[in-house]
Amino acid sequence: MKIRRFILAMGCIIYSLACFPENKGPDGKVDTSLNLKLSYNSSLIYPGGRLGIEFPVKSFISTRMKKSGKEKELIKDRFIALNLSWYHHPSFHDNLYLTAGWTMRRTRKSGFFTEFSPEMGVSRTFIGGTTYRVDDSGNVSLEKFAGYFYALVSVGGGIGYDFSITHSKPIMVFYKLNLLSMYPYNSTIYLRPAMEIGLTWKLCGIHLTKKWRKT
Amino acid sequence: MRQEKLILFKRTIAQRKYAFQKTYSKCSQFVRLISSILFLGYIVSCQKEKISIGTNVSDTFYLDNAGASMRILIEGNTLSHTFLIIVHGGPGTGSSFYNTDYISQNIEDKYAVVYWDQRNSGASQGNSNGNNLNLTQMTDDLKKVIQVIKSRYGTDGAVFILGHSFGGLLATSFMTSGNNQSMVKGWIFVDGSHNYPLNDTLTRQMLQTTGQQQIDLNKNADKWSPILTWCNAHPGNFTLAESDQLATFATSAETYMDEVNQFDYLTYIKEHLFSDNLTLTALLFNHLYSENATFNNELAKTEFSSTLYKVIKPTLILFGQYDFICPKGLGDDVFKRISSPQKRMVISTVSGYNFMFQDEGLFCYEVNNFIQQFK
Repeated sequence: MKIRRFILAMGCIIYSLACFPENKGPDGKVDTSLNLKLSYNSSLIYPGGRLGIEFPVKSFISTRMKKSGKEKELIKDRFIALNLSWYHHPSFHDNLYLTAGWTMRRTRKSGFFTEFSPEMGVSRTFIGGTTYRVDDSGNVSLEKFAGYFYALVSVGGGIGYDFSITHSKPIMVFYKLNLLSMYPYNSTIYLRPAMEIGLTWKLCGIHLTKKWRKT
Repeated sequence: MRQEKLILFKRTIAQRKYAFQKTYSKCSQFVRLISSILFLGYIVSCQKEKISIGTNVSDTFYLDNAGASMRILIEGNTLSHTFLIIVHGGPGTGSSFYNTDYISQNIEDKYAVVYWDQRNSGASQGNSNGNNLNLTQMTDDLKKVIQVIKSRYGTDGAVFILGHSFGGLLATSFMTSGNNQSMVKGWIFVDGSHNYPLNDTLTRQMLQTTGQQQIDLNKNADKWSPILTWCNAHPGNFTLAESDQLATFATSAETYMDEVNQFDYLTYIKEHLFSDNLTLTALLFNHLYSENATFNNELAKTEFSSTLYKVIKPTLILFGQYDFICPKGLGDDVFKRISSPQKRMVISTVSGYNFMFQDEGLFCYEVNNFIQQFK
């Protein structure tokens, strides 16, 4: 079963590599695509994972004049992102959280990009140890799936490299820092930094063609 | 021509729909794969019951009570069937500070030490549970912690409770409520406060007398002078704000004394920054919340001097000579009022507010002897 899933996953990656089109068409249009993100989502030293999907909303080229007189072009992308994330803090909790966010990405001609993304969603923690309850008679029982739901807001910024710009490969690598805040945590808030290192695949199933827009 | 265009359009739509379905299918495969990994990870890591009996164990479990999941870490020798529960100070600080290498090497080798994070403290978790943050509820929590320990490790286990600072108030509340003290073999009171109004009075007196002595000796006169001025202007009936101001002066005063072995919390945090046990942001926000919670107004008026006569269990009282925050006069009051036939009071001449860190050797020696004698 595991092998089957692995083959399916690899097939998906290879397929997307094979069918990926040029980023910029001859007609002067920018192709944007649905992106699938997979990353190691570490809460500093604690491991985790993150799976996300980015739905393109807007993509345009911004041109600015440098002091030297040269033109600087940036591709600006806007996505609606859905992410399912998890981290494991031993003896504290496992946190599984689903967020929706707005991703703003600026990509240079060299392929390097920066991005910023506010997100909000819901978190479910699973307490990091056996959890007991004691009734008024003193009877002790085990509580299954102990944990809490929290509202979660996250802001993050990161850097990365888009291989589709220079190598026509539908892959991006990125590094991102996020700050998670959960509420109401013991009637107050809980803040937690999280770090992401991951890959983004530009899926070829959907290509939304947008016109160049010079600003 | 128009019909051909329509057919072409429909075909394009169909192609896009097919492509989307393929993409969706691929995505769902990925989601399933990742979900499986997450789920397995969760199952393996989390909530399986683990009870360790040995000479060097480390078990973590939680007590869920009235909206709070409180972390309990047991370290050391569970084979001894003897458990020392640390009731930490605060409210809101957490038990991980007490888990020092020295205590690990000198108490945990003989007995099991229970590091319990009270509600809204340390690594304890919950939702909107601030309404349950009160002394009565916390006393009930402590009772249930003991019940869980006895359920896990056997009802024949010997349990001792050690309360420090606010933990002293909580432990006194426990010892003087109902028949709770029958659940423990002994009580250790370390730089604790069982009577907040008396605490404030004693702190003010100590600041005045010691401050004047230090000024006469020309030691830190510039630092003591404003403290003395404030104390002279505030003779008694302290409000919560005045009580907090006294605590601030008391914390500083200890650092002006050359005789005291200073303890630095920041050094401890730096050393344990990447420990699973030190959940730094939870610790910080729990502390900020508890420190400013409304129940502190009630605590400021709380006293157990009048009910201490109920205590009949063996009691060990440990105080630092230079503790301005919880002066040793509080220990004298407990010693005088309890009905325990077996009671002992020890003063450390090099300690202030943190006997267990500032005079580790004497602390472990006294605690071990006490437990050995009454377990």
